Amino acid sequence: MITIKDLGFSYRETRGVKTITLNKEKGHMLPEDRYVLKNINMNLEEGRIYGLLGENGVGKTTLLTLLCGLKNPQTGSIDIDGHNPYDREPSFLTDQYYLSDEVAPMNMKAIDYARNYGKFWEGFSLDKFIEIMKELETDPEQKMTRMSFGQLKKTYISFALACNTKYLFMDEPTNGLDIPSKAQFRKAVTKHTREDSVIVISTHQVRDLENIIDPIIILDRQDVLLNATMEEISEKLYFDYTNEKTADALYSEMIPGGNIQVRLNQTGEDSKVNMEALFNTVHQNKELIKGIFNK
Amino acid sequence: MKTNDIFNFRRFGRYFTSDLSTCWSNYGLSLLTISILFPVGTYFLTNVFNLVLRSTWDGPDIGLRSFIFIVATICLVVTMPVKCYGKITEKQYGSFFLTLPASRLEKFVSMFLMTCIIVPVLGFALHLGTDAIICALDHTCGKNLVAGAAELIRNIGDMTELTMNFVDESITIENAALVQDILGQINNPWMYIDEIFGITLPFLLGAIYFKNGKTVKTILVLFAISMASSIIMTPFLENWAAEIVKNANADTNTILQMFNNGIFKNLVLIDTVSDTVFNLALMAGIWFRIKTLKH
Repeated sequence: MITIKDLGFSYRETRGVKTITLNKEKGHMLPEDRYVLKNINMNLEEGRIYGLLGENGVGKTTLLTLLCGLKNPQTGSIDIDGHNPYDREPSFLTDQYYLSDEVAPMNMKAIDYARNYGKFWEGFSLDKFIEIMKELETDPEQKMTRMSFGQLKKTYISFALACNTKYLFMDEPTNGLDIPSKAQFRKAVTKHTREDSVIVISTHQVRDLENIIDPIIILDRQDVLLNATMEEISEKLYFDYTNEKTADALYSEMIPGGNIQVRLNQTGEDSKVNMEALFNTVHQNKELIKGIFNK
Repeated sequence: MKTNDIFNFRRFGRYFTSDLSTCWSNYGLSLLTISILFPVGTYFLTNVFNLVLRSTWDGPDIGLRSFIFIVATICLVVTMPVKCYGKITEKQYGSFFLTLPASRLEKFVSMFLMTCIIVPVLGFALHLGTDAIICALDHTCGKNLVAGAAELIRNIGDMTELTMNFVDESITIENAALVQDILGQINNPWMYIDEIFGITLPFLLGAIYFKNGKTVKTILVLFAISMASSIIMTPFLENWAAEIVKNANADTNTILQMFNNGIFKNLVLIDTVSDTVFNLALMAGIWFRIKTLKH
């Protein structure tokens, strides 16, 4: 389990730096505002695929890099099964994998890359790597330097899944993938991950991952707006696809063939959660949503 | 932190072989080019020039080949760390390097062994081997570099014995012993090893410290350090140098007595100790960089 307590992080060190001359009215930021993440508290449980959503610059990548130990929290703490990720202990690293949003080729064949580095992860299986590569229609014998960005991304996705780690952090994994590959990716994630794993996937393309992510975490600047399972969301919010407009809708949008409206679920009816509508509802009703879900 | 998380021989073996394989794919061709093409190219170019300009078939002499060996060594030392480890400052490669399940110490030791021992030894062996083959096939080149170096060391050894021949003729027995003391110091293998580390380590630190312009910035920093040390050392050496100039026309014994002090008698020891301190500082810098690198 991942426990995040009062987590804070800023890209410019504020401790000990005198910033008294900064003026908010002139467009400068005061130290308090420099924090990308501030007082973040959450628990990430086993057996779940978390979808990490948020606008640009709210700290999705920062949170992922903090979780995998690439950055050190400036305030608060992260505890992953008793490990502090920033210590980067091999016994912890062997059970986690971080897939960066930016991937670059190594000067070797994909299969050689997997052979060369896979041995560091205890659960790694070369056969599984080859199988996923085939599912994603990528040739493991191809040199990585000759691959397109999408092929490269699929190679790293295959490697990440073949490592069979308990903790898997993926930053925008569907960026650069074509439409069939996105479906193959969803299939591969559900098929090739451990039952006890904690997977955190950040994305802008909510539709790409609509059917696999549960719970949903929506980040805002220095805040977590929502951290709830699909069940909790559909319990508390109702997604109405009828053409009749209601006055109490928290959010409404024209979609082909009618409207989608989101309102508070007062009748206990079930409805299909629409990710984009959810995201927009949360952003337009920040305090209300926080109040409802933090009850 | 458990001992197993600090250093584990099995895991280190795995990491080192992976490092070796990655370095080979990134730098193997450059290593072969520098170590083999330099002596072969020098041989052919010299012969072509001699044929055109002097109409003789005359291979490069040991002086030119020694110069090319030094140039090749510098090229090797300057380019290797950037090619093999320079990319860890980039997010794509660096995040993988940091989250690879091996301890910081294992990554550091592997980096040190590769840069300071494996690549220079391999480069020297290839260069000297190629040179030996060229000299064996074409006797116009004269002695090969290894035989030439052995002769040079023997000559220096002979020189210390030779000084005894001048006793009573031009120098005193005390001064002959002094010359032997000073020249005899060069039989210290650590001095040469230390010098190699002293050249390779700054470029390794530069490669993993600077984000761009790695080699140029390292050279500039080295230049600044040597300027600063010259400024610091000048007051100490000025009086002594002035004394030498003043007594330039004095007899041999007077000049030799000017070297009769603790500095010259322990010159190699002082040099070795100062180089060791410098190298340890560089190693600490490399360790600290690996420890604190964030992405």
